[in-house]
Amino acid sequence: MKYVQDISASTQEIFSTMIMLDVAPGEAFRRTDSHLKNSVSGIVGLAGETKGMLSIHLPLETALAVTTAFLGMEVEEIDEDVCDAIGELANMLGGCLKAAIDPSGSKVQLSMPSAIHGEEYTIDCLADADLISVPFTFAEHSFIVELQVSS
Amino acid sequence: MGKTVLIVDDSNTMRKIVARSLRQAGIDFDAILEAGDGLEALEVLGANQVDVVLSDINMPNMTGLEFLKAKSEDDAIKDIPVIMISTETGADIIDEAKSYGAKGAIKKPFTPDLINDTLGPLL
Repeated sequence: MKYVQDISASTQEIFSTMIMLDVAPGEAFRRTDSHLKNSVSGIVGLAGETKGMLSIHLPLETALAVTTAFLGMEVEEIDEDVCDAIGELANMLGGCLKAAIDPSGSKVQLSMPSAIHGEEYTIDCLADADLISVPFTFAEHSFIVELQVSS
Repeated sequence: MGKTVLIVDDSNTMRKIVARSLRQAGIDFDAILEAGDGLEALEVLGANQVDVVLSDINMPNMTGLEFLKAKSEDDAIKDIPVIMISTETGADIIDEAKSYGAKGAIKKPFTPDLINDTLGPLL
């Protein structure tokens, strides 16, 4: 699947450089269950020649662990700081993947990042877009980075 | 008199990370000021003596490029050096930033060493 290597490399670089966490990518898959449960999701939209969405989905406990490592201070509840941190992760992932999708840098634009969380929710993007999901693990935690693109 | 840096980013998390990276890079500022967008940054520059600015590009209300342009038109603050820190570091955007006076650009994710290498010569 296209962009799997870019997703893996970008995610590993961002986590090791900014969060000091070594994350291991798993085998890419196509997520069929559209429902996300007890999670936090960071999202960045892509517009222009290539349209789509970059997202990162973390179970609540993983989001807390990542934010704690990111900020260097204990975070115990899903709050504004967690959403801001996960949104910023999506923003950095979007920037890295934009470089792979649009090497010229001028044909694809990124939206402002956003983050949502809840007990159960779905995120809809483009019906005809290819969805690539790459799982990652660190310690006892796991999360998914997804790219949905339609040219 | 010590140096003062202004960090401009709509993400509170990223402002904290940039401030931490400055400390990790061994760059010692007497004061670290923060702004959440370009408009706030202009207000901070108007009210404080700032030696260098680290600014994001994609921000609400006033983007980093709009901030640079407005700053370049104000004689009182136009000479304060600005380094862009952003996920957006395409050649077109950086060329536009430099045309408004930006002294350099750092791509997120970044290391303290990269911050030091880029910012050090300006201090």
